[in-house]
Amino acid sequence: MHALRGRALFFVPALALLAVFVVYPVVNTVWLSFFTSEGEFALLENYAEVLSQPEMFDPRGFARGFPYGALVHNVMWIVIHLPLTASLGLVLAVILREIRGGAVVKSIIFLGMVTPMVVGGVILRFLFDGNVGILPSLLSLVGLGRRTLTAYPDTALFSLIIGSLWLWTPFSMILYSAGLETIPDYVYEAAVIDGASATRAFFAITVPMLRPVTGVVITMTFLWVLKIFDIVYVATMGGPGGASNVLALQMYMYAFREFDANSAAVVATFLMLVALVVSIPTFRSVRGEQP
Amino acid sequence: MRRKVTVLLLIVLAVFSLTGLAAEKKLTVISGWSGPEMDAFMPVLREFEKETGIRVDYQIYRAEDLAVLLPAQFDSKTAPADVIFMWAWFVNRQAQSGHVLDMTGTLNESDFVVGALDAVKSGGKLWGAPYTGKIKPGFWYRKSFFKKHNLAVPNTWDEFVDLLARIKKIPGVRAPIASGNGVGWPLSDVTEHFIATFGGPAMTRDLIAGKIAWTDPKVRAVFENRLVPLLKAGYFSEPIEWTMAADLWWAGDYALYFMGSWITGMVKDPADLGVFTLPGARGLVFATDYAFVPAYTKYPADARRLLAHLATRGQTLQVAAGGHIATYTGAPLDAYPPVDREVASLLGGLEALPDLDDTIGGEWQPAFWDQLKLLWVSPARVGEVLETLQRKAGK
Repeated sequence: MHALRGRALFFVPALALLAVFVVYPVVNTVWLSFFTSEGEFALLENYAEVLSQPEMFDPRGFARGFPYGALVHNVMWIVIHLPLTASLGLVLAVILREIRGGAVVKSIIFLGMVTPMVVGGVILRFLFDGNVGILPSLLSLVGLGRRTLTAYPDTALFSLIIGSLWLWTPFSMILYSAGLETIPDYVYEAAVIDGASATRAFFAITVPMLRPVTGVVITMTFLWVLKIFDIVYVATMGGPGGASNVLALQMYMYAFREFDANSAAVVATFLMLVALVVSIPTFRSVRGEQP
Repeated sequence: MRRKVTVLLLIVLAVFSLTGLAAEKKLTVISGWSGPEMDAFMPVLREFEKETGIRVDYQIYRAEDLAVLLPAQFDSKTAPADVIFMWAWFVNRQAQSGHVLDMTGTLNESDFVVGALDAVKSGGKLWGAPYTGKIKPGFWYRKSFFKKHNLAVPNTWDEFVDLLARIKKIPGVRAPIASGNGVGWPLSDVTEHFIATFGGPAMTRDLIAGKIAWTDPKVRAVFENRLVPLLKAGYFSEPIEWTMAADLWWAGDYALYFMGSWITGMVKDPADLGVFTLPGARGLVFATDYAFVPAYTKYPADARRLLAHLATRGQTLQVAAGGHIATYTGAPLDAYPPVDREVASLLGGLEALPDLDDTIGGEWQPAFWDQLKLLWVSPARVGEVLETLQRKAGK
């Protein structure tokens, strides 16, 4: 018992740091979110006020087109970006495992992952620029016109989502590559003996056996997309006309342009709750519990 | 002997530490100027060092980044620099919270152009100092381009529209006017010029003061009857990163470029530059740069002295480098390069107006920039743009 108490002492510095730098800011943020910027306790009225702003949700968008509000834009990021990065990462991991020099190609692809997101945002801005960008040049070759894709409301958000694939796909590719190494060769050998095609083996063996990895990829990608900020800030600043605005950028606007810490805290708390809802099942499954 | 050596060592150490302490005294200045703009600014700081013997370090931060950094620093009673160039609205807002050193009595108001200090005055006190300003005079063109294509500076609105139509037909020209885009401010500059010309200086001042709505029929008319038809006709390019736009314009991809007077320091041959206002312009934006001393400076007296140097003698040095117009009346006219004298002469007979978005500031400023980016590519959505601007202004 004495030894246990002695060991517990070693946790104190870490717990103290967590309390000061994580627990206190989180609690304080949640607390702030219940107050108006005038300091009056408002409970959920503050949430209703912030979440009903057109910057957060703009139903007129469904009749007129972009913007739809940061909330809908984040959902679009998740719906488009998540399946694409997950599936691309899996396909790349499987293909590059089989071919010679796959490790080198993986290293090159992984460069996207180590590129700072701010730099990634700058690259995206120029990648889609009508004067110097590669993509508008390619589009003009096939007669689709040459224009700056991030400058127009109907293409800005999609450009950022698609453009950011190279920044995040390497993450899922590396995780799936590690996952593939854990599948025993005899499983595939047995499938070959049973006459299974490569496609059948992929869907009947690879995909199911990588399910735990897929869980991690989906969770981490979801969280990455949920807090997406830097790429949007640098490439479009949420524009034009809020057409590529996202929740984290709106939180920044409240906090640092409007100096309204309470509205920013509402968005932060909302993001935290969504993140928790997604993360908890993953942590439970890691601990061996059923979600 | 040993004692003598020890004493000698102690003396040497004491001298070194005193020298070290003296050397540690340095002031830091922050502004957004980098590249050639920074090169033109550094002699101003070097002059102060020469006069006072106080070292001055220079750091580059954009105002947008300072808006994020400074409030948190100020709340913890620290400051990243002793003199900071920043938006006037921001200085006033921080002054209300006690984060800015009172500069009352540091400057003599009569030494500056009328109204130059107003933007950093509140509660009967002065919270900052004006530096040089830049005029946003109108559409810049290359004289050689106009000569080659037999074009003339317009004197009426119809002539202006006719000029744009003629330019559009010139082979190799992508659009008559290059639309610079940074975070959005170059678009706001051209829009402000349309407001000041067709709504008059009073409309600019009333919009700043919130006395007139963005959805007011008079404001709407400026947009719908003047700006939007040009956008719809494709006379403006889509927004292009502003330094890239300057290069493309200079190369002849575009014929006109709306930009501030600092462009004279950005082009290879300033003598080839010509500029004209929108026909009928009654006011021009004269955007002054402001600096302030945070309340948390370690050296308030020296920081005050540096700010006073920047606002007076510093301006004279700065204007000589080109692209700047002094707010300090003590800066002699012969200190200006010839092209800037020409730019300054444009103000003759016109009202000098404050920069609209820099004066309003806050959340409204980026919203203005962003809505204009939308307007530029979707001019049909002008009503929605003005409604959004009004909603944001109301907040």
